Amino acid sequence: MFYLRGCGRWVAASFTKQQFPLVRLSSDSAAPRTPHFDVIVIGGGHAGTEAATAAARCGSRTLLLTHRVDTIGQMSCNPSFGGIGKGHLMREVDALDGLCSRICDQSGVHYKVLNRRKGPAVWGLRAQIDRKLYKQNMQKEILNTPLLTVQEGAVEDLILTEPEPEHTGKCRVSGVVLVDGSTVYAESVILTTGTFLRGMIVIGLEMHPAGRLGDQPSIGLAQTLEKLGFVVGRLKTGTPPRIAKDSINFSILNKQTPDNPSVPFSFTNETVWIKPEDQLPCYLTYTNPRVDEIVLNNLHLNSHVKETTRGPRYCPSIESKVLRFPNRLHQVWLEPEGMDSDLIYPQGLSMTLPTELQEKMITCIRGLEKAKVIQPGYGVQYDYLDPRQITPSLETHLVQRLFFAGQINGTTGYEEAAAQWEKAREMSQGVIAGINASLRVSRKPPFVVSRTEGYIGVLIDDLTTLGTSEPYRMFTSRVEFRLSLRPDNADIRLTLRGYKDAGCVSQQRYERACWMKSSLEEGISVLKSIEFSSSKWKNLIPEVSISTSRSLPVRALDVLKYEEVDMDSLAKAVPEPLKKYTKCRELAERLKIEATYESVLFHQLQEIKGVQQDEALQLPKDIDYLTIRDVSLSHEVREKLHFSRPQTIGAASRIPGVTPAAIINLLRFVKTTQQRQAAMNESPKTDQCLRNADRLQERQL
Amino acid sequence: AVNKAEEPQNPPQLGHLAIIKPLVYLTLRLSLPDALIRLPSGSRLCTRRSSGAAAPGSGATIFALSSGQGRCGIAVIRTSGPSSGHALRILTAARDLPPARHASLRLLSDPRSGEPLDRALVLWFPGPRSFTGEDCVEFHVHGGPAVVSGVLQALGSVPGLRPAEAGEFTRRAFANGKLNLTEVEGLADLIHAETEAQRRQALRQLDGELGHLCRGWAETLTKALAHVEAYIDFGEDDNLEEGVLEQADIEVRALEVALGAHLRDARRGQRLRSGAHVVVTGPPNAGKSSLVNLLSRKPVSIVSPEPGTTRDVLETPVDLAGFPVLLSDTAGLREGVGPVEQEGVRRARESCNFLATVVASVGAQSPSDSSQRLLLVLNKSDLLSPEGPGPRPDLPPHLLLSCLTGEGLDGLLEALRKELAAVCGDPSTGSPLLTRARHQHHLQGCLDALSHYKPSKDLALAAEALRVARGHLTRLTGGGGTEEILDIIFRDFCVGK
Repeated sequence: MFYLRGCGRWVAASFTKQQFPLVRLSSDSAAPRTPHFDVIVIGGGHAGTEAATAAARCGSRTLLLTHRVDTIGQMSCNPSFGGIGKGHLMREVDALDGLCSRICDQSGVHYKVLNRRKGPAVWGLRAQIDRKLYKQNMQKEILNTPLLTVQEGAVEDLILTEPEPEHTGKCRVSGVVLVDGSTVYAESVILTTGTFLRGMIVIGLEMHPAGRLGDQPSIGLAQTLEKLGFVVGRLKTGTPPRIAKDSINFSILNKQTPDNPSVPFSFTNETVWIKPEDQLPCYLTYTNPRVDEIVLNNLHLNSHVKETTRGPRYCPSIESKVLRFPNRLHQVWLEPEGMDSDLIYPQGLSMTLPTELQEKMITCIRGLEKAKVIQPGYGVQYDYLDPRQITPSLETHLVQRLFFAGQINGTTGYEEAAAQWEKAREMSQGVIAGINASLRVSRKPPFVVSRTEGYIGVLIDDLTTLGTSEPYRMFTSRVEFRLSLRPDNADIRLTLRGYKDAGCVSQQRYERACWMKSSLEEGISVLKSIEFSSSKWKNLIPEVSISTSRSLPVRALDVLKYEEVDMDSLAKAVPEPLKKYTKCRELAERLKIEATYESVLFHQLQEIKGVQQDEALQLPKDIDYLTIRDVSLSHEVREKLHFSRPQTIGAASRIPGVTPAAIINLLRFVKTTQQRQAAMNESPKTDQCLRNADRLQERQL
Repeated sequence: AVNKAEEPQNPPQLGHLAIIKPLVYLTLRLSLPDALIRLPSGSRLCTRRSSGAAAPGSGATIFALSSGQGRCGIAVIRTSGPSSGHALRILTAARDLPPARHASLRLLSDPRSGEPLDRALVLWFPGPRSFTGEDCVEFHVHGGPAVVSGVLQALGSVPGLRPAEAGEFTRRAFANGKLNLTEVEGLADLIHAETEAQRRQALRQLDGELGHLCRGWAETLTKALAHVEAYIDFGEDDNLEEGVLEQADIEVRALEVALGAHLRDARRGQRLRSGAHVVVTGPPNAGKSSLVNLLSRKPVSIVSPEPGTTRDVLETPVDLAGFPVLLSDTAGLREGVGPVEQEGVRRARESCNFLATVVASVGAQSPSDSSQRLLLVLNKSDLLSPEGPGPRPDLPPHLLLSCLTGEGLDGLLEALRKELAAVCGDPSTGSPLLTRARHQHHLQGCLDALSHYKPSKDLALAAEALRVARGHLTRLTGGGGTEEILDIIFRDFCVGK
């Protein structure tokens, strides 16, 4: 293993395949043997681990810099993963061969799919995770990732150099300076930590700077970012107290049992590591008027809640619930923190009351009458970097090759305060930033997931074009093409692209996705080809109530749309050729889902085509909206475009306040640019033709 | 700039320039108005957020009135998209398309009723050699609003066709590399101006009865959708109150009924495509027929000093202040007029015996419609001595007129214009006909989508039906973003940990 002077402890990943990561020397560095990587990832949270492993999967020699190696995979926030919308994101991260879904399948203690009865498009895969197992499994995975090196250390500053002329941005990042003064060079740098973001922890009226114990916030880094002109906003969030498990009277509470069988998060797993009967239950209890009373009587002791600045529309804390929706009972989920953990996480009870009042309030709640608070809840206020400063590939507009993931939208390094929303977002951004940092090194075009391709695309597009004034939450209602972007088909949507365009997907996963895609297509066309009269279907499958009013023959695919029919009953009725499609459980289930949405998907496809057309119209990256003369735009529109820097006409048209006229003008600009480029590229002969055509037009004018 | 710009856009046509030129000129004037049909609040070109109606640029075929608003000799209606040829065949009831890029005279008729609409020049431009690069058809019809409206509605009834969004023709032309840059420069300014005018028009329109209705429906639907979405996104993590879904269901069903009733009503109203009704009533020998003749500028009724000369209701289509109007002369004061009218006439009679009273009632519907508006006109003002006392001050608002000298006619016309504008929309601010075709298209689309709302089955599918339905309504009222939905969710429910 390998140590470098003054650089703290290095934990080398397995070096089985790659060359040694230090060899290249930097010409502008006086120190010999300055280490040089393709990609540096700062921060070992959810975004950092996904980013680092994604970059390594893409073939980049990657360095993960974290405060402490033994905190990698630490999930100090609520102990669950997934949920409605968030489960979709996890499936998509998995489709790009990300870590977290696989690790959740090895570490969960309670697996449950939400929204079971509301339709497969909105199923929410979710699990309670054992903290210890998750951390163990994550560290094992990280430390065994080829091409990935992990080092302990705090980053103090960025090394900035002259920008590349062919890209926008005022400078280029070429490495980092650590707190001890040593330097590490890299082609791309991904920033995922938030400790420099002036976090404050709030309990009652007390307020103190946040940050992990003993860690000094990296003031240099924060100052550098500020000097570079990054725009910062401020957000608030909070966390509930933790309760001793043995102090709760579960016997009088509603018990929620896990699914049987468990549905795994990862496409590569058929089952999870633990049997349903060995999993832990969750419990449900409710608040009551006494809780309201304690909140209302103590508002003067609660500075976090008193300040109304930028409070999100939703209710993150029990205080805001009571204030906005008085006289109601609010749910509290009691979630286990792990197989052998003594703690219970009361989801729904985020609060910032003074510590002594927290226990008083909790003991008013049914089942918690004798509850012991082990750690009080608290609020956090923090700066975030305005996401409109980054491109959809998560590279910053200002600094070339600097990528942000995680903290850009109010997702902080304070995992303690974050919930599963933040986790899903961080992972999604992490994997995209990792892929793009790597592609940037190899000078390949960026890997951008469109709104039409995935929840990841919606998330990043919303953030980068609209910005955010509250921590962004991934609701399925934000997704226009919800029926097409389902958890079941994330592999078809993203694995194939991830393999071809990004190179972040293993051969094995790719082949599996290909097989699934062709089997589905074949299955659907077979189901379309089988046609009987409705009376014959009635005889074949008596339990289904097919309307006999239609005299037209009915396709097997249409029969499969009925709720009571699945592939098994259909294959029983028409064994040939349908029997073979029931052998693979997943295939059979997915065929059923495809049938359910078939009629609507046709229309969505048309709409998707329209959006994609807009997105194909790229806006030049180096366009200076404030000064450009060839485009007639109002000042207001110029400023909006300047700030958000949309990459396509589609994105520009989604920015509020950008008018149709402005879009037409932009279109015109794109066209001119394209023509100029085409003219430059084409042979002199065509060039002549173009000029002639131009002359002709001029004459006519 | 627009005229100049139009010329080079279809170079292959140059050979036919002699024939086509005047048509091209018209086409030109209109290349902008694809912008006209757009409501300003949805100023995004991309329809992504109103995930309902088909996106521009997709396979849909679009149509729009391409020439200017108001009255003109010839109006050009243009379609673009794969179903253009189909639409042309359906409207001309022909199996074959006319020869490409040649003007042909065809009888257009309504595909639903078979009713003839107009004899028109039609031009068939198969893609890619067309303005947009897609299959295009131009209908050069007679410019009367009735004809234009008839053709637009007929096009709207062809499956696969929908009214164009602002700038959509231009954008398609762009996407297909058909527009040269100078043209676009001018277009953008015009689209901008039109968008402004549209915004103002929409504001005004939204004050009207229909706007009021649409907004109410859109609100209902947005709320219902928000509640269904809340049930999907939060139903199992947070506690929503009982019956969220049931309530949404009730509201959607009620909306369906209201929309259905409105659309049936609107179809009845189509009989009025030829114009609003203005009915002239009044006591015998008040000079009703004289007024009708004065307004229509031709002797429609036989006039005589004898009371009771007109025995039947005579109807004549006239153009009043730019509005198509069906003017009816009636035989004396008929039964069934409202108490207001009778009272007005009574007072008028009492006040000055020698003044004849004419009541013009203006209504979009039949004369017996309760929503009709009344204008009290006192005729024979020439008999009023200049020094003598005027009509009594307690008369309802009225106009003085002399059919004999024409005095007071301008005032009457102005008053009529105002009344008609209130009924039909003001043609100087945008075409009420276009608006009507658009309304009907989207309301029907909304209703169709609602019929797919079945919350007892797959809820994601049911929500999709509501999204599509809402997409149609918000095309009329503006708005329609996801944030609106989220705002309602967070307002109505305590969710989101």
